Amino acid sequence: MHLRVYRYNPETDAQPRMQDYTVALDARGKMVLDALLAIKEQDDSLAFRRSCREGVCGSDGLNINGVNALACITPLEGLRQPIEIRPLPRLPVIRDLVVDLSQFYRHYRAVKPYLINLEPEPERERLQSPAERTELDGLYECILCACCTTDCPSFWWNPERFLGPAALLQAYRFITDSRDQATEERLDFLEDPYRLFRCHGIMNCVEVCPKGLNPTAAIGKIKHLLVKRAL
Amino acid sequence: MRTVAGARHGLGLWLWQRASAVVMALYLPAFALYAASYAPLDYMAWRALFAPLIVKVATLIFSAAALLHAWIGLREILLDYVHLLGVRLALYLVFGLLYAACFVWAAAILWGAA
Repeated sequence: MHLRVYRYNPETDAQPRMQDYTVALDARGKMVLDALLAIKEQDDSLAFRRSCREGVCGSDGLNINGVNALACITPLEGLRQPIEIRPLPRLPVIRDLVVDLSQFYRHYRAVKPYLINLEPEPERERLQSPAERTELDGLYECILCACCTTDCPSFWWNPERFLGPAALLQAYRFITDSRDQATEERLDFLEDPYRLFRCHGIMNCVEVCPKGLNPTAAIGKIKHLLVKRAL
Repeated sequence: MRTVAGARHGLGLWLWQRASAVVMALYLPAFALYAASYAPLDYMAWRALFAPLIVKVATLIFSAAALLHAWIGLREILLDYVHLLGVRLALYLVFGLLYAACFVWAAAILWGAA
C-alpha cells in the first residue's frame, strides 16, 4: 500500500515536502489511521494527532486524497493510491500533520458556546419539553474536529473574520436552546457581513462532516431568524 | 452583560439580493410570454412591444433588479478576494458608477424607443 504524506518541520525544513511510504497492510476493514500508525512504526519522526480512534474525539482530522475526514473512520478500501495525506488546509502547520487550531477555537469561543440564563438556578435542573430538546438534534453532536471549517472556501479567504461552519453551527445550537436567554445578543453578534454573511452556501461543510451534520442548514436558520427579527 | 454586536448590516443586502432575484424570476417568463404572443417579431414589432407605459416601467424595474443583484454579487466577490481596502473601495466606486450609468442608459433606451 502506497501513501504520500506531507512532511514539514518548521525548525529544520525550508519547504514542506511529500514523502512516499509503502506499508504492508491488508486494507480490508482497516482505516487510514491504521496506515499512519504502520508508517509511524517505520519512521517515528512523523507527527500526527490521534486519540480515541473511533471518530469521537475529533483529533485526527486530515486532508485525505483532497477531502477532509477523520483518519480513524475513513476506510482504506476504495481510496486511490498513493493515498495523499495532508494537514487540514488553511491553518498554520506546527509539524507534519499537526496544525495550529487557535484560530478555529477563537471563532468557537466568540459565539459563547454555553448556556446564558440569568434566572436564579433551579433546585435541580432547567427542564425542556421533548420537542424543545429535539431542536438540539443535529447540533449538539459536533466534535469540533475542524474538518468542515477548514474545507470551507469562505474560511480560506477570510479566516480571521468569517466564523466558519463549526462555530456557526454551535451559535445556532445555543440560539435555538429553549433555556438560553441571550438570543438577541447572539443574533446581534452574528448580524455582520463577515461573521455570518461570508457563507455562500457552498456546502463543503455538509459534504465532509464526519458526524453527518448540516451547518449550512443551521446558518440558513440563523438568517431566517435575522429576517424575522428585522421585518 | 458586556455584548459585542456585529456591524448590524449584511442582512439588508442579502435580502435585497433575494428580492431582486424574485423580481427577475417574475419579469423574465412574463416578458417571454408577452413577446411570444406577438411573434413573429421583426424590428418594428420588437420596438412596439415597449410602447405601453406599463412595459417600460416593468422593464426599468427589471433593469434595476438585475443591476442591484449584480452589484451585490460583485460586492460579495470583492469582500472575499480583494483584501486591500483602497483597491476594494476603488472597485466599489468604479462598478457602482458603471451600474448606475447602465440604469440611466436603460431608461434612456426605453423612453427613447417610442
